[in-house]
Amino acid sequence: MTQAEAIPGPAVQHSPTTLAERIVRFANRTPIHIVLGLIGVVWLAPTVGLLVTSFRPRSDIQATGWWETFATLRFTSENYEQVLGSQGLVGAFVNTVIISVPSTLIPLTVASMAAFAFSWIKFPLRDSLFLLVVALMMVPVQVAFIPLLKLFAPVGLTQGFGGVWLAHTAFALPFGIFLLRNFFITLPRDLIEAARIDGASTFGVFRTIVVPLSVPAIAAYGIFQFLWVWNDLLMALVFVQTGTDWPLTRQIANLLSQYGTEWHLLAAGAFILMIVPLAVFFSLQRFFVQGLLAGSVK
Amino acid sequence: MARPVRLTTILLTIVFAIAACTGGATPGPATVPPGTTITVMSLWGGSEQESFQKVLDAFEAKTGIKANYEAVRDDYATALQTRLSSNNPPDVAIIPGIGFLRRFARDGSLIKVADLGLDPAALEANYAPGILDIGTVDGELYAIMVKFNSKSTMWYRPDQYTALGVQPAADWDAFVQLLTDIKAKGEAPLGLGAKDSWTLTDWFENIYVRQAGVEKYDQLFSGELPWTDPSVAAAVAELTRVLNDDNVAGGIDAALGRGFVDGIGQAFSANPDAIMYYEGGFVGGIATGQVNTALAFGETIDWFDFPSVNGGNAVTIGGDVIAAMTKNPGVKEFVEFMTTADSGDVWAGTGAIISPVKAVSSDVYPNDSAKREAAQVANASAVRFDGSDLLPAGSPDLGAELQKAIRGDTVDWATFEQLVQTAWGNE
Amino acid sequence: MGVAVPQPADPTAEGGDKPGGSVRASLLVFLGPAVLLLLVFLVYPTLYTIALAFDRGRRGEFTEFVGLRNFEQLLTQDPNFINFSTFPPSGALWNNVLWIVFYTSIVIFLGLIIAVMATRVRYESIIKTVVFLPMAIAATALAVIWIFVYAPSSKIGLLNAILGQFGVAPVSWLGDPGLVNASLIAVGVWGSVGFATVILSAAIKSISSEIIEAARVDGASEIHIFRRIIVPMVSLPISVLAITLIVNVIKLFDLIFVMTRGGPGTASRVIGFTMYQESFPGGQFGKGAAVAVIMLIILIPIMIFNVRRFRTESVT
Repeated sequence: MTQAEAIPGPAVQHSPTTLAERIVRFANRTPIHIVLGLIGVVWLAPTVGLLVTSFRPRSDIQATGWWETFATLRFTSENYEQVLGSQGLVGAFVNTVIISVPSTLIPLTVASMAAFAFSWIKFPLRDSLFLLVVALMMVPVQVAFIPLLKLFAPVGLTQGFGGVWLAHTAFALPFGIFLLRNFFITLPRDLIEAARIDGASTFGVFRTIVVPLSVPAIAAYGIFQFLWVWNDLLMALVFVQTGTDWPLTRQIANLLSQYGTEWHLLAAGAFILMIVPLAVFFSLQRFFVQGLLAGSVK
Repeated sequence: MARPVRLTTILLTIVFAIAACTGGATPGPATVPPGTTITVMSLWGGSEQESFQKVLDAFEAKTGIKANYEAVRDDYATALQTRLSSNNPPDVAIIPGIGFLRRFARDGSLIKVADLGLDPAALEANYAPGILDIGTVDGELYAIMVKFNSKSTMWYRPDQYTALGVQPAADWDAFVQLLTDIKAKGEAPLGLGAKDSWTLTDWFENIYVRQAGVEKYDQLFSGELPWTDPSVAAAVAELTRVLNDDNVAGGIDAALGRGFVDGIGQAFSANPDAIMYYEGGFVGGIATGQVNTALAFGETIDWFDFPSVNGGNAVTIGGDVIAAMTKNPGVKEFVEFMTTADSGDVWAGTGAIISPVKAVSSDVYPNDSAKREAAQVANASAVRFDGSDLLPAGSPDLGAELQKAIRGDTVDWATFEQLVQTAWGNE
Repeated sequence: MGVAVPQPADPTAEGGDKPGGSVRASLLVFLGPAVLLLLVFLVYPTLYTIALAFDRGRRGEFTEFVGLRNFEQLLTQDPNFINFSTFPPSGALWNNVLWIVFYTSIVIFLGLIIAVMATRVRYESIIKTVVFLPMAIAATALAVIWIFVYAPSSKIGLLNAILGQFGVAPVSWLGDPGLVNASLIAVGVWGSVGFATVILSAAIKSISSEIIEAARVDGASEIHIFRRIIVPMVSLPISVLAITLIVNVIKLFDLIFVMTRGGPGTASRVIGFTMYQESFPGGQFGKGAAVAVIMLIILIPIMIFNVRRFRTESVT
């Protein structure tokens, strides 16, 4: 205990109450406001710029900067129409969903169960095995391509989505197990003991106690994983080989090389790619942030 | 009951065998039934793809075999390799470079032409001497060149030339003078898309093959002549003499951020800021098809021969070869089709490419520009394949070094040579 | 509960009196799938790749044993990978060093500053959201956004337009080998500061406000509070953050691949990209595997550090 805490003193809260006090406080913070305002601009401007560009007519894009649009107010939806219609992006969007959903649900399930085992089932070498799993988080995905392709080929996993689902799942497991195990061990032992004494099976404990209490952590991991897979390019590049199965990232990267300066199409395409992650992010921010904190700050 | 079934089976087999033997002009015991499909993979999109599709349609019309085109615009080697590793290669693939060809051939990923049932010696008759050598690796024919373009074409705007009162230049010194003259009259002479660094390699190769001669060119691009040889620096010096802030519209820095289609646009779009652009014969098709459909050959777009240097005027060409990756039914027929005028006429007729097939007559080309291009190559004192396409797959990037050169930075040719030799060694 | 349940020293032990067989069955069900997937899809490919590093690796298969040749070439004969003959060194490995030093430090610095400043204003959560936004954006889309910002024309490129207002000629941010790495690191920083801010903000908030208020009452300046109180108390989260960032840098691939392909030339390559480039476009899978092994070698000390730290945390 510091001296300050031991000595009873005046209330240390001084929220300003009068208007004058509030203005003074605000003015004192001016340097902070300026800096934060600048930071806000730097962090928003590039994305906003692209959004505005995606709604500008092509000729405008090549002639003037996007900020001048606010003077002329010339907007159009033709870029989006063109991109969605002619470039097969709608199909790619569907493919991205087809890839992302199982690649999120499967690792969620598998990692939760494994994390539970690492938390609440005792077995020899448990901690060493866990550390090994943690170490696996560092393996770069590139090492897996050729060996996995050769594994997948004879069993037909190079066609369709099976291969990419499995690859995403495997690479998501170390982090998921790490994150969820760290959370699971914070659950109250008494509850679990009580359930066991009442005769619950291991699976029952998992299902009725651990999972319901861990919804924030599981949700956080799920969101993480979903965003990661949605935004992935490399795995798709290697494991999704049929053109009609390509996800959005692949399709847009293709646009980038084809139409290096067709900004009107690129801008619209990039935004279509961003919509779902941004929506998920905004609506489920809370969980996302919680997930980050679990395991790093106790 | 067994006996009647067996008899029927035998009879049916005999019937089918007779039908097979008498069907189709292709040699071999069986023809491919109509409706068979094969996949053909290449990097072309846009107008190039449309032209090639006509060839595939002609193939289907002739043989009933459907060739499905798969475009992989980007990361072509990656796509090909992952397909191979998955035991799912395309039946036929376009191979866009000879170093590329050597790698896949030596990897054992390509089917030799002879193994398809075709006779390389017999195919020689379809081509001018040396053409089939381009697709030969370690003495075996793996791939066949199916199209090429001259890379010795200097594109310009005749209307602007007339307005400025200048003429195309035949030799290098006159060319340099031409640029100065144009500049003096207030126009920027050259468009340049140096972000696509391969355009710089084409400049370099044309200067080099003319200045240093064909023998040195062959040696340089086969690993026998080191890149530290003075002839290399000499050619680069000429390159920078021409590609500099004075002559290039918008300056070199801007050019380094500009792709080659936009470079074409500098000279040929509706809002041009230059009057010349150097690249291969395909510029015509791209300019008129994609960049500015209002262009008219002879009036607002045309080309003249790349200027000679010290009298040397060898022509460089860039082309693609095709190789078979499987022995599926239909593949042999397709490869053979691509060696005949049946395919060559159709493809050349689009004006997009020059066909190496001898039997394709120059009448087939739809416009004067393509006819002249075919004639330029046919009548050239020497023809050489695009050098940078001859380098091994793991080579350092020649285009990047040339980008440094035009920017005024020193190029470390010693290191470049070292890396190239390692790549040759690793092949 | 009145029943005295034996309390094992290990807080996570399974209590009770279940027969051993059931534990085994549980393990199979709970751990089995994960272990299987990890072994097949992670451990096996890693071992395969380590072995391939000693082979020529045509088509990615074992075709010709070459011993240490791949490593020798990479470390001594390939200036694109690492070049010690210049000072400072150059090459992909060196670029990773640049990233590790500058990206990590700037991200942590900015994250900390923003986290601290944000606590003093009402719109704190808005700032944190804005800064965190890029984390939801795919590398591909990030590339489009920033290629646009960096465009070398002052009409299209935001940065050059701003420079143009001050009369400065357009700069080729991605085309100039001297600038490209800084430009890319800037994009990396932009994408990661939100992550750092969120973590550090939570860490700062967990510092007892009484200590800070006491310091204020004692007359300490804001900067003093920052340096002497906040920074030391968040040193643990900072080190965790730093490790995460460094590991990401060593594996870095996406951004480089989409924005510059390692260009111009090879100026912006990092080893994650080199691995891809040698393998697929170059056809030298053995060499690519050797790069992967070098990556793993660099990561091993970090893995050990992580594991040790984790162990000490678990025990306390």
